[in-house]
Parts: sequence; structure tokens; C-alpha cells
Amino acid sequence: MLLNEEDSSVPLFENVEEARLVGDPYRGSQRRPWDRIALGLELPTDLSYREYYESVIERLKNPVDPITVAADDAPCKEVIQTGDDVDLLDFPWPYIHAGDGGRYSNLHTLIAPDIDSEWVDWSYHRSMIHDSETASVLLLAGEQTPNMYYYKYERRNEPMPVAIAIGVEPAVQYASVMWIPTGRNEAEFAGGLKQGPVELVPCETNDLLVPATAELVIEGEILPNERRDEGPFGDYFGYMNGPRRSMPLFRVTGITHQTDPILPFCVEGVGVGHTENTTSSMEIGCVGPDATLGLRTAGFDVECCAPWKSTPRTVYAISTEKTNPSYLHDMANFIFTTWGMLHVDFFVFVDADVNPLDQRAVLEALALHADPDTDFHQFGVETMPKVPLNIYQTPTEKGDVQTGTSKAKTSKAYIDATSAESGRENCDIDDVERKYRAQKILKRAGIESETFSFIAPGESTQ
Amino acid sequence: MTAVRQHLDRLSETDDLITITEHVHWDGMAAEVASEAIQHNCPVTLFENTSGAVQLASGVYGGADQFASKEQQPWQRITQALDLSADCSYNELIKRLAQWNSASIDGQLTDEAKATVRNDIDLYGLGLPTTSDGRPLMSLGLLVVEKDGITTWAPIKGQAQRSRTLRLSVPQAFAEWCPPQADASVVLGVSAAPLIAALQGWTQVQTTPAVPNLAAGLTDVSLTSIGSRTVPADAEVRIDGQMSVEPQVEPDDNATKAAWELACETTTIKIETDTIALREQPIVPFTPLGEPLTDDLHLLCLVETAKLFRRVNNYWGASPVEWIQLPVEGRLGFCIVSSEILYAGFEWQLANTLFSFSDLFDKVLVLDEQADPTNLARSLDDMWVKAHPANDWTFSEPNASRATAPVYRPDENGSQLYINATWDPRWDEEYIAPRVTFETTFSENVLESIADRWNELGLGELLDKQEMGDVHE
Repeated sequence: MLLNEEDSSVPLFENVEEARLVGDPYRGSQRRPWDRIALGLELPTDLSYREYYESVIERLKNPVDPITVAADDAPCKEVIQTGDDVDLLDFPWPYIHAGDGGRYSNLHTLIAPDIDSEWVDWSYHRSMIHDSETASVLLLAGEQTPNMYYYKYERRNEPMPVAIAIGVEPAVQYASVMWIPTGRNEAEFAGGLKQGPVELVPCETNDLLVPATAELVIEGEILPNERRDEGPFGDYFGYMNGPRRSMPLFRVTGITHQTDPILPFCVEGVGVGHTENTTSSMEIGCVGPDATLGLRTAGFDVECCAPWKSTPRTVYAISTEKTNPSYLHDMANFIFTTWGMLHVDFFVFVDADVNPLDQRAVLEALALHADPDTDFHQFGVETMPKVPLNIYQTPTEKGDVQTGTSKAKTSKAYIDATSAESGRENCDIDDVERKYRAQKILKRAGIESETFSFIAPGESTQ
Repeated sequence: MTAVRQHLDRLSETDDLITITEHVHWDGMAAEVASEAIQHNCPVTLFENTSGAVQLASGVYGGADQFASKEQQPWQRITQALDLSADCSYNELIKRLAQWNSASIDGQLTDEAKATVRNDIDLYGLGLPTTSDGRPLMSLGLLVVEKDGITTWAPIKGQAQRSRTLRLSVPQAFAEWCPPQADASVVLGVSAAPLIAALQGWTQVQTTPAVPNLAAGLTDVSLTSIGSRTVPADAEVRIDGQMSVEPQVEPDDNATKAAWELACETTTIKIETDTIALREQPIVPFTPLGEPLTDDLHLLCLVETAKLFRRVNNYWGASPVEWIQLPVEGRLGFCIVSSEILYAGFEWQLANTLFSFSDLFDKVLVLDEQADPTNLARSLDDMWVKAHPANDWTFSEPNASRATAPVYRPDENGSQLYINATWDPRWDEEYIAPRVTFETTFSENVLESIADRWNELGLGELLDKQEMGDVHE
């Protein structure tokens, strides 16, 4: 945590029994949160945010099918434990915050199949370890895998076969946090991201295919109508959320792993304000480009959709050329009813020439262009669903609903911070030329050029 | 008192000044370079070679965007310029400004003016940066006028029109105080205290001409007499002439405003200059207008904040407010207040009191008293995650006077918004979610163990290297 707060190197803990641990391996720097994610994709680490976003978007547009390899060629099969040999407690699951309800695996890919089709969903749901063979999994209805569990498997009283792959290759981890459309396999998009097929290997105790290069794979099933305590946990909001609630039970049937595996974890809760962690960096480096592509695919004219840099998941800024009120309403409505439903409470729309990752510029737009009379739009007071991880609802309002969402509903809001009616002038070519000359003068005087928009295009919109 | 050139020397010593030695013409390009430097959080920029009689400096009382760096606070240069200690906190600075101390200047009229009259120069020859219409810009300066034995200083913004005429925007209250015609001086390149005092004296609801006394109350000021006027002795440039109020000239609503012009009514005055006095190798700080993070924004944000802090903490017979900030990033359109919530509904009262005391903004964010004034990113994080989007974003009915900083509906009244990101005082203690921080996340023994093992693991050394790397970045 301290290394995160100090914006320092990624720690690898080698002297831990049974496995090694690595803390927040995808955390970027405060200034360039996408850099370590870019490294994982073998992209240059000096890309501007625009170059980085467009590179990832291009890769997502070209998915690559996975291939299946034999167990002998799968590093994750170096050690295989099934039956009585299985013991979750053999591994050093970290106890992350003093107030947590238990030890967690919280940086992994959860693999679950649709019961009615060939679709296999890869997602990212934290798991609290209970004993040698059980854990509780945070499944919040409204997301894809939880919906499969609550509304298909559990209604049919069937266990959902799952695997939790830990220490997966970067492209797999990135695809797992993205909102890939229902029916499309994240494995293909992970292949697109890495520009090559992801190698999969069959599990030992169920029919699922898992990433062959994973450090460790936990096989098992999430049982219907079985619940275990989950939380409290210091979550991405930056606060300890509670109270302890009931979540579906994961029963382990097998564990396979590499020799001396490396288990990544995220120090959740510190990716707020100036501090980055894996979650906050992946929001910017993975979810942002994916959301931008998703909106463009849905027909919206979006320059960039990016999370508010110091607040993961809850608020996004979207830069767009089209700023008429009905257009913004339709876009907000689309988002709040799809991928933005549970976690996102706010969208801030800004002009196309405002960098959504420049919080100063977005705050300025909010302060100077968002009119309290006309530009703040609430979507139904107390009508929208919400994850119970939030801190603004009371424990009573959150309740302990069987499907994981809060008992009480909330509202969503979007803010039109565009300047369409104020006649904001765009830079003409002479302005651009003057700014370029000015930046060159500063560079010759010794200022680093990488923050200048015209010398290093895309870094800033100024 | 720290004169401008001493201030620049200190900034240079702390690597917070960059000198541009190549020729940059004052006609347009200097302002463009300054603007780019400010927006990209560069050090203070000193232009050594601009063809004019003065060297220009930009960002002298400005500072970094708080989102860009947690190490630098935007008010650091002003703190330094006011002779406050390097570890002076934000709260100490605001409390100092909020005191509105007034000190006698009788004993301080001892210095000789550092600037001497030059007969070979006119207003264009100074080489001040030009405005968009090509006229020399007057910013970060003061107008000095005496009436009935009282000298006052007022903020100015304007331009030279022809070689000997200045047309300046000044606070209307100041113009009403002045005689219709008077001898006057315009001083450029003055230290921070007189600039701040002039804003305190003339841009707020209660005005006072005792600006030199306010400046003396902030820090020692070096003064001298020119005619019957008391002027800062260390001014880099002094322009003497005859001032006349031009009530018939309507302020140009389309002209780009200096920050202080958003805080008060303004009027236009004209000055016909007689003489121009310069120091040796004069240095004139200036501020581009209408851009983010400029010096005039920084100065007014602090002055307005100090006013609000003084007024709200003396209002209810209690002092619940920990800090107030008009973050310079919000360009005066957004106010943050951190306060103890005395009782349910107090946050409403507090926000609306702030709306009563300032016309600049129409959005207030209310935070708990534990909020850190040096962590704007975290303060706004609370706005997004702690305030209930349905219940804690509260809009007034639409008849409030329009705020002056935002650019929308220039002539119409409208709503105000306050966001309550505090814990509800009616909540049980168990509802309050603790923050996740290094200090709050682990038990005492774990924290002690980490402290013991930090250097043993080589992490202290790692961070030192990292910080060195950041410096060179």
C-alpha cells in the first residue's frame, strides 16, 4: 500500500511460503496510469493517452480465437491437486486491510459458462477464502456472470461450474475487466489485445477451458442456494464498506498451478485521489478504451470515454463533438441501462477538445459550463439499482438482498459540461502554430516536451 | 518584505524558475509562451530577451495544478512571496490573510524609490506583452492615488493606447472614492503583499482605501513618497501621470477579464503619462488573461477564500469551518468547504451562507472536517462517492442571482447547487465507513513492523531514487 501511495515500483514478495505474491502489478503512475498496462501489451510506454486508447481500440476490433493446448504444454498443470489433496489454505492469500472480513483473492479471472449456449464469460469478482475448500464470491446481480448464476443456474437448482485463474497473462486480465458484450467470449478479445491466440487447457474436474499460462487455477462450482459471509472489505470507493453480507458459496474441486506460483493481488481502496492501484489503472487503461469503443459501436460520436482519474468506476467523463441535449440524454440512458448500471453514478460530458483524463480541464468545464438550472440531469430519484459496496447508503438501505444489489434504489446523474451555447471558439490553424512555436521555445529552454500537446500530440488538449 | 527580484532569486534556488534566453518578442509571443508554461505546470518563466526595456516574468504568483502533483500546492509561491515559512500550511496562509491586519505605515516611508526616471522611453518601449489587439497589456499592477492625505492602491487591468495614454479597468468603488482627476502612478513589478491588499481593499463588499496599511499588516513593506502619494519603493516600473475617471466609457463586456474583475463592478479610467521610471534591468511579472491557472486567478482565489473563511467562522458564535478553498482549477466557479456539521441541516445553512457572501460561484461542495485541503483529488472523490446522487445534490429554486465566474446565462438568474459529501449527523456511528489509508488500514503493531522493515527491505532507498527520478523528469 505504501508503495502505491508513493507511486513507486511494483513489489514482488519472494519469501512467502508456498507461493510468491506480487502487489498491484498493473498499477501505473499517477500521471500516466496506462503505462504498465501498455507494457503488458507490448505497446510503447511513451504513448500519449489518445495514442494508447486508439491502439487498444484497434486491437479490440480485431479479436483472435483462442487455441487449445495439451496439459503437458500448459504451465498451469505443473502441479495438480484434486480430491482430498485440495487445500485452499496451502496458499498465502493476503489479508489486505485490518477491517476485512477475511483473506482474499481479488486479482484474477473468474471463468463461467452460460448454461444455454457455448458462451463462456470471463470476469473479475473478488473471493473471500473460508476454509480448505470453500470461498464466498462477490456476485452482484446486473453483471453477466452473476446474472447467469442467479437467474439461470440457481433457478434451475444447478451448480455453476467455474474456474478462478490467478496470475493470468496481461491480455487475459485486461479482457476480464472489460464489458465484453453478452455472447462474445473474452478469450477472443484477449487474443485481439495480445495480437495472437490465447492458449487454453481443459480443467481437471469440469469441462471449462482455462488460460494455460495462469500461475494457479482453482476449479470448482458455485452452489445454488448456498451462501457464506462476505466482507466487509476496503473497496474501490476508498472506504471500508460493510456490513458483512451473504454471498454465493464456491466449493473447490481441484487446484492446478505452476511450481512456485506468483499470485497477484490488489491493495483495493487506495486507487483514489492521487494514488493508483491495479483497479484504478485498469479502469483507465482497459475499461476506458473498451467503453469508448462500445459507445462508438452503438452509434455515438464519442471522442473519448474515460473514468475520472482519481475515482475509479463511479464517474466517467466523455468528450464528444455532438452536444445537443437529446443526444446527451440518449447516450446517458444507453450507458446507465447497460454497462454503467451498477457501479457508475455520474457521467460528465465535455467538449471534444477537452481531455477527459485531465481532471483540471473537466473540473473547469464543470465549474464554468454546467448550469445548475439546465445541465444537471438526474435519472429518476430512488429508482436505479446500485451495488451495496457504496458508502452513501445506510446498512438498512443496502440490506442483504439475495441477488447482491442494494435493497434501496438510488439515482444516476449526468452533467452537461459542454460549452455549446457559450460559443467557445476552437483553435484555428494560427493558434495551433503559435502554441507549437511557444512549446518549442519552452523545450529549448529545458522543459521536458512530453507533456506538450503539439510536440507530443494527444497528451493534452491544451 | 520580498521584492519581486528577491522572490525570483529564491525560486531559482529551488529550481522553480526557468530562464528563456532566446529572443521572444513581446508582441504576442511572450504571452503565448507564458500561457503554455502555466497550463503545463512549468516553473516560473523569466524572459531575458524580449526587445523591450523590461524583462518579463510569468507564473510568479501562480502554481501547479493540484491534480498533476501531490507534492506541489498552487499557493506555495505566494506563501514564499509573503515571507511565510516554507512549512506554512494552507490553513495558516488562509488564516493569515483572513486576519485583515492593518498596520501603520508612518515609520516605513523611509526608502528611496528604486526606480529612476527615464526620459528615453514611452509605453510601447517598455516591451510589455501585447493583448490580442496588439496593445501593451497592463496586468498584475497597481494604480496609486492620493486623496485628502490618504493613499490607496487599486488593482488594474488594461492597455496602453498610443505611446503616452493608458486606459485601465479599475474597481468602481475605487473610482467613486477617487477625485475625478488626480495625479496618479501605475506601478508594475510589485511584491505580493500590495497586490493582495489591493484586492482585499477594493474587490470585496466592504471596501477600504487603507490598502497600504493592509499590505503592511501582511508583511513588512518598503515604501516611498512620489509627490503626495505613497508607493511601493521596490516597484520595478513606475508610470506617473494624470488620471481621469471616464464614467462615460462603458466597460467592454466582450473584453477578456482579469480574475478580479469578476469579483466587483468595474469602471474605466484614463491616464496621460508624464514620466516613466525604471529600476536597473527591470523585471515585470505579468499574467495572460482568460487562461487557466494564471497568477491573477491564484491571487483572487486566496483573497476570496480568506474573506469567506473570516466571515463564516465569525457568524454563528462558533467556528466549525476547518477550511475553505476556491480551487484555482475551478476558475472561481466552484467552492469547497470542510466543516464540522454541527447539527442536521447545518450543511445547507453553510452552503447558502457561502452563496450569500460571494457572487463568484454557484456550486459548493461540503466536506467533513477530516478532509485534507492539500488533496483536491481526494476531496472531489468524496463528492462522487460520498454524496448520494439523489439526496445530496441539492438545487435551489431558480431565482438566485447569477454567479459571475461561470459563462452561462449572463443576464438571467438561476439555481445554485450544493453537494453534501458529509456524514449525516443522524447516522449511527456504525454506519460511518472508515477511509482506506495506510494509517487506518493496519493495526499499530503492523505499522510499527513496516516502519522497522522499510529500510531493511531497501524500500526507503528505492523511494529516494524514485524521487530523484521525478526531479529529473
